[in-house]
Amino acid sequence: MDRGDILKTLKAPANWGRKYSLWAVYFCTGCGIIEIPPVITSRWDAERFGVIPMATPRQGNLFLITGYVSLKTLGAIIRTYDQMLDPKYVVGFGSCPVNGGMYWDSYNTIKHLDKYIPVDGWISGCMPRPEAIFVAVTHLWTLIDKGLADGYKKYKDNYEYYCENQRRVLPHLGKFAGGAETETAAAPATLRMPP
Amino acid sequence: MTEEDLKQRIADRMPQCGVAVPKPGRLIASVPRDGLLSLLHLLKADGFEHLALISCVDWIEEGELELVYHLWSQETKVHAMAKTRISRDSPRFLSIIPLFRHAQTYERELHEMFGITFDGNPRLVPMLLDHWQGIPPMRKEFDLRRHAKETFGVEERAG
Amino acid sequence: MNEPQAPAAAESATRELQMFFGPQHVGMVGNFGIVLTVEGDTVVRARANPGYLHRGFEKLMEYRTYMQNFPLVCRLNVMDPDPNEALYAMAVEDLAGLEVPDRARYIRTVVLELSRVSSHLLWMWAYGNLLGFDTLGQWTMGDRDYVLDLFEMLTGGRVYHTYIWPGGVRRDLPPGFADKAYQVLDHLESMLPEYDTLFFNNRLFADRTRGVATLGRDEAVAMGVTGPNLRATGARVDTRIDEPYAAYGALDFEVPTMSDGDSYARAVVVRLEVEQSLSIVRQALKEMPGGPAWTRTPNPFKWEVPAGETYVKVESARGEAGLYVVSDGSDKPRRAHLRGPSYPTGILVLERLLRGASLSDVGHIMLSLNVAAPEIDR
Repeated sequence: MDRGDILKTLKAPANWGRKYSLWAVYFCTGCGIIEIPPVITSRWDAERFGVIPMATPRQGNLFLITGYVSLKTLGAIIRTYDQMLDPKYVVGFGSCPVNGGMYWDSYNTIKHLDKYIPVDGWISGCMPRPEAIFVAVTHLWTLIDKGLADGYKKYKDNYEYYCENQRRVLPHLGKFAGGAETETAAAPATLRMPP
Repeated sequence: MTEEDLKQRIADRMPQCGVAVPKPGRLIASVPRDGLLSLLHLLKADGFEHLALISCVDWIEEGELELVYHLWSQETKVHAMAKTRISRDSPRFLSIIPLFRHAQTYERELHEMFGITFDGNPRLVPMLLDHWQGIPPMRKEFDLRRHAKETFGVEERAG
Repeated sequence: MNEPQAPAAAESATRELQMFFGPQHVGMVGNFGIVLTVEGDTVVRARANPGYLHRGFEKLMEYRTYMQNFPLVCRLNVMDPDPNEALYAMAVEDLAGLEVPDRARYIRTVVLELSRVSSHLLWMWAYGNLLGFDTLGQWTMGDRDYVLDLFEMLTGGRVYHTYIWPGGVRRDLPPGFADKAYQVLDHLESMLPEYDTLFFNNRLFADRTRGVATLGRDEAVAMGVTGPNLRATGARVDTRIDEPYAAYGALDFEVPTMSDGDSYARAVVVRLEVEQSLSIVRQALKEMPGGPAWTRTPNPFKWEVPAGETYVKVESARGEAGLYVVSDGSDKPRRAHLRGPSYPTGILVLERLLRGASLSDVGHIMLSLNVAAPEIDR
């Protein structure tokens, strides 16, 4: 057995463990969340795929962005994603993270999620079915096995790119604006009125 | 009390008010802006205890914003819309919190969506928009599609 | 002997901490935030933090034709989408002078009540979870899926139906629908006593929720509360009887009320409503008249609705859902303002009821008010 084979064998249990225990961070980002309770309860039972909801991002490794992402939610998503430990996988659930979906012209939703955080897979549909989620999970297993679910590595390697996109829509986010940032935004001094 | 009775009562006590009964169960009463508070007092005293909604319609061609206060009377099963118009430039109006406590939230939203200042509302801070830098987005001069193109690079494609 | 020093009055043993409940929180159902100021285990002050789901729905509606708005409106509240379709249909029918055939009215009633049942079963999952009763949710979500199967059979979609359209409904009942529906109704009715044994008649549920987050009747009316939250205070207010729409005027059902206005009362009202809804669906199916399921509309691609304004309202699972539409005679609405029943409850009522509450009750108080964040943010 040469060195490459030894490394491959040692890595395999790690991937096996990661893919069969995808713990989804519990964050109801958008309307896609409505199909998650059926998926994690008795009829569809995601636990047979190893997928369970996880309360904290510190112990979750799967981030399902369910539905459209408003600008305020994007800030929370970035903060949650940054708290997750490597390796972590992001799946965009629904048409809205893909290209804006129904809200393609909204002034308050982002249109392409992968500009702001790396996305490992997409589930299209409005609303995707529970079966689609399970198919996506099996696809994610294949990607993990092949080492292609490397969004978290892409994030670190291209951090400037992602931060630039994030800063463009969220200039006030704590890591750009510096200093403490409160959840309840203070009122701007005046609302800009048309001339 | 029927809708017609209500209409008569309002017309008697507030002659400057234009009242209409478009269909059973609906009443529309329009007043100039300084009469609105009296109209709301009148309606509330006549059983319209439930404030359902405070709407605003932007009549940009006429230079006015129309405020519509939706009230419901459980007693007579009538939904009344008390309307008035204010200027679009630096719009300002009285808060009706002393009459209806939860008007605070509706007025707060109208402030951030249309730019209307409600005197007496202690909480005119943003609620739905977060660090919004543009003009109040529900105003008609806010071009939604242009904003989507400039901010996110998306545009409508025909066909 | 030295006496232990009592802490100086200025340095108290507890201090106030600011905590963020949501949006990423296992006890938060929906994308909503509450900023809590706590002292020990007691909430001293709560500030609702909405806006996470704001899409500018009403602005979007002004840029879409009446046909393009049709698939948009159900997405207002994902947990209970059909009342919003009904609102839009009723508003456009009012402005355009369209008559809805009787059969369509009955079909709408079936769809609206099934939507109420599915919303209430989802609520039971969330409410039970927040009180620690995880089994209830496993059962109710499983049973709710049978209701979604019915929706799929009728409309093609589990969650978003795009079925109730101005003039009627989009297609008639498929063959075999009534039989399948009776099967689902029989099953749900047989499960209700099981839910009661497990949860609603459970001593622990009563102990956790009696006297918690009490809202009086006058205060509820003064704060714009409608729906089960208001009915739990003793007021028999329900749009289905106050201003009947669809086929409710011809059907026989009760509107359950309780009088205490606490979390327990609200939960019991919801549980009793499920029973009533199942009975309404049964009646509507049995008494379903014949005839067409829709009235022809003008060419939807070129539809210019006559100028005017209207306010329509329906009783959604959470209370009075309203829609104010102003039309200027063009092919797009000039103004469409959606009233979600959670709007008054999710901000001011929630903040008021959380003041003085125990930290362990925060999640379940929000759920007992059945606050749906998408209705607030739009």
